[in-house]
Amino acid sequence: MRRAIFAVLVTAVGLVLLLSFKPHELTAVASPPSAVSHAPAPQHSAGEPPSSGRQDTAVPPANGTWTGPGATAGTTRGDKVATGDIADTRWGPVQVELVLSGGRMTGIRVLRAPDSTHRDLAISSEALPMLNDEALAAQSAQIDAVSGATYTSEGYARSLQSALDRAGL
Amino acid sequence: MSTALAGRAATRTPYRGAGRAGPAAVLPVIVAGASAVVGLWWSGTPRVVGLGDWLTGAGRITGLLAAYGIAVLLALMARIPALERGVGSDRLARWHSMGGRYVVGLAVAHTLLIIWGYAVADGTDVASETVTLNLSYPDVLSATVAVLLLVGIGVVSARAVRPRLRYETWFHLHFYTYLAAWLAFGHQLSTGSEFVGSPLARATWYALYFGVAAVLVWYRFLAPVRQAVRHRLRVDRVEPEAPGIVSVYLSGRDLDRLKAEPGQFFRWRFLTRDLWWSANPYSLSAVPRPGELRITVKDLGDQSGRLARLRPGTRVIAEGPSGALTPGRPRRDRKVLLIAGGVGITPVRALFEAIPAATGDLTLLYRARTPADLVFREELEEIARRRGAALHYCVGPRGRVGDPFAPDVLAGLVPELARHEVYLCGPAGMTGAAADALRTAGIPNHRIHRESFEF
Amino acid sequence: MRHVEHAMGTVFSFDLRPPLGDARRAVTEAVAWLHRVDAVFSTYRAESPVSRLARGEIPLDDCPPQVAEVLELGASVAEVSEGYFSIRPRGLLDPSGLVKGWAIEQASRILARYGAVNHCLNGGGDVQCSGTPAPDRSWRVAVVHPLRPRVLATVVAGHDLAIATSGTAERGPHIMNPRTGRPALELASITLTGAGLTLIDAYATAAFAMGDAARAWVERLPGVEAFAITAAGTTWRTAGFPGSAP
Repeated sequence: MRRAIFAVLVTAVGLVLLLSFKPHELTAVASPPSAVSHAPAPQHSAGEPPSSGRQDTAVPPANGTWTGPGATAGTTRGDKVATGDIADTRWGPVQVELVLSGGRMTGIRVLRAPDSTHRDLAISSEALPMLNDEALAAQSAQIDAVSGATYTSEGYARSLQSALDRAGL
Repeated sequence: MSTALAGRAATRTPYRGAGRAGPAAVLPVIVAGASAVVGLWWSGTPRVVGLGDWLTGAGRITGLLAAYGIAVLLALMARIPALERGVGSDRLARWHSMGGRYVVGLAVAHTLLIIWGYAVADGTDVASETVTLNLSYPDVLSATVAVLLLVGIGVVSARAVRPRLRYETWFHLHFYTYLAAWLAFGHQLSTGSEFVGSPLARATWYALYFGVAAVLVWYRFLAPVRQAVRHRLRVDRVEPEAPGIVSVYLSGRDLDRLKAEPGQFFRWRFLTRDLWWSANPYSLSAVPRPGELRITVKDLGDQSGRLARLRPGTRVIAEGPSGALTPGRPRRDRKVLLIAGGVGITPVRALFEAIPAATGDLTLLYRARTPADLVFREELEEIARRRGAALHYCVGPRGRVGDPFAPDVLAGLVPELARHEVYLCGPAGMTGAAADALRTAGIPNHRIHRESFEF
Repeated sequence: MRHVEHAMGTVFSFDLRPPLGDARRAVTEAVAWLHRVDAVFSTYRAESPVSRLARGEIPLDDCPPQVAEVLELGASVAEVSEGYFSIRPRGLLDPSGLVKGWAIEQASRILARYGAVNHCLNGGGDVQCSGTPAPDRSWRVAVVHPLRPRVLATVVAGHDLAIATSGTAERGPHIMNPRTGRPALELASITLTGAGLTLIDAYATAAFAMGDAARAWVERLPGVEAFAITAAGTTWRTAGFPGSAP
């Protein structure tokens, strides 16, 4: 019996030690822009936020990660940057920005993504890079619209949809 | 050192000191494996944030260790000859039994921590999280069955419960551990976050389990069958030695190729209707002779009693040889002390016959409760005469005789006790007391060899 | 011409192609319609007529006439779908599964009324197309693969076409199979096509809850086709599904 208690204690202490050596802060994949957008702040009430007319958000570029062949965009002249609307999803606001070069989409950056829990970040860090590829693939297949069901992807797809809309592709 | 034994002991098995892996070699390997498994978690986890992550992280670590532990436990019981010789079957069985309890605990902890951790992360309650996990994650339902099986087997093996079961029942139930290991394997790879993204980790895990499975199949099934076919072991005759004690003589071909050393045992599977399903360990009670092996068995109530009724010609599958109570490498000027208690005389009798020792350098102490329990009296005395060895009986219940293994008693019986190499076999309590006394008398641990049969 | 509108907790994308007719007016009216629908039907606003109706505070007669229309539609869809779709899931009145598709289809009609006959309306993944995007081709709507985020599962082409996809949300199954009371898990997603989004959207939800049994059901529905991706990653489609590889 004493051995059993000893084993349990050692195991518990070991687990706590192992877990405590890992970092405990969240570092967002896409950190939210420092300046607040002109859009009304998203309301995280129990339900969906009330409708908010057309949003013209001019958000200064934030420290998101670039992907796509135009990843160095912003430094190349002649590149147009289209900012998608902020889409409010159940887990938080989502917004992407497109880089267009000669009318073609060459890069995507995520400006805002849900990041309040570790699960959000895990999903965001997986879904966003995938979505970037997906968006680029969609463009190359001459797609007019995208139908889908996944909620967070809905936010992106919608935002992608809106960025596409904005760019008039 | 005596190099030849005249007369009856015609065959000397060569003391090849075949490969053996002692505890000092095996335990570090097991620990290294466990560290690697924990490292798998470490490298796959960037951060731990919030209660949900702590719980899930602890759940993952315990899950990984439990799965690794199951593979280790199965490997310990695979009858790998190097392990059997190096660690000893009784110690392996003890490790398996202690490890088994710990692993069942880890598995239960893993289950509870994962359910709780996921529930916290998803913001749901534990009950609905359990349902979600079981129904919508692949292979989790069979893993749940596996953990319930493990708990059941753990309960059945508990000290309070096991004696109440017939050995056969317990034995059969214990086989469900294979089923549990099989059922749990799927979910480790399909939901384990450390494996989902890493082909190397998956490959290593497959290698671990397939390796253990291969070793099990080979040593516990294929090798004994091959041995049985090659040696054609059969019961030759059964002779009573003393009331309730019989010797079973077995005949076969090429028995020297079994490479059995004196002091070792086999697990014997007698192919009769009521004995075929389990293989029980009995030591060779004499040095193997060409074409003949002998075991001596005391009727302890269960299967051992049925051996007395074995018919000549019965086929036998022998798994082994196993056991660490062997002479090992021959050493010059070695004085040997053999101590046997009760049924432990069986392997000791073989050692008495064959262990190399010069005239006057070999002593046997035989402890039994009543004179009727003394077996092989004539054989032992004959060997003692032939080899110039000392033979002492210590008979009588403890109350009357006192402690036969008090250090001063031993020193009185055995001159130059501290220079002896000691081989002990008997009930665990007796061998433990004797070992303590020997250590007190100045014999270092590495010269005390013990085996007890209570596994 | 393009326009994006946030309403009903989702995003509506308008894509109008020439001839535009009175496009600006069309879009304004359609947008106003969407907000009106939101105000009446939102179950997230405690004061909306539908919420109050659900709580029994007001009778159906005191609600705007569209509410009765939607409830009737809901009853008919429930019957056609053999109970797999219901506007009273778990007993409480909630027509949300029907309202979005219905609102989009009505919005599409508003646009056409003002002369914008070639348009594609995407409301949160449910699409109503009308006319053609260009003289020489039809509308192409991609369906995302639920299990492989980089991949487009199929591309649907058509002129006057409604496309709705129903599937598991990223964080777990939320559509219940009313027969078993448990989350519907056989399919990862199912996409239905047809003429009007009102029915197609609701049918898609019902089909998802049915699982693999949806195939036979959709085959029996005239003018409705389906494409499904099972949880195991295999796909099936009904005979007339207008989709091809992307």
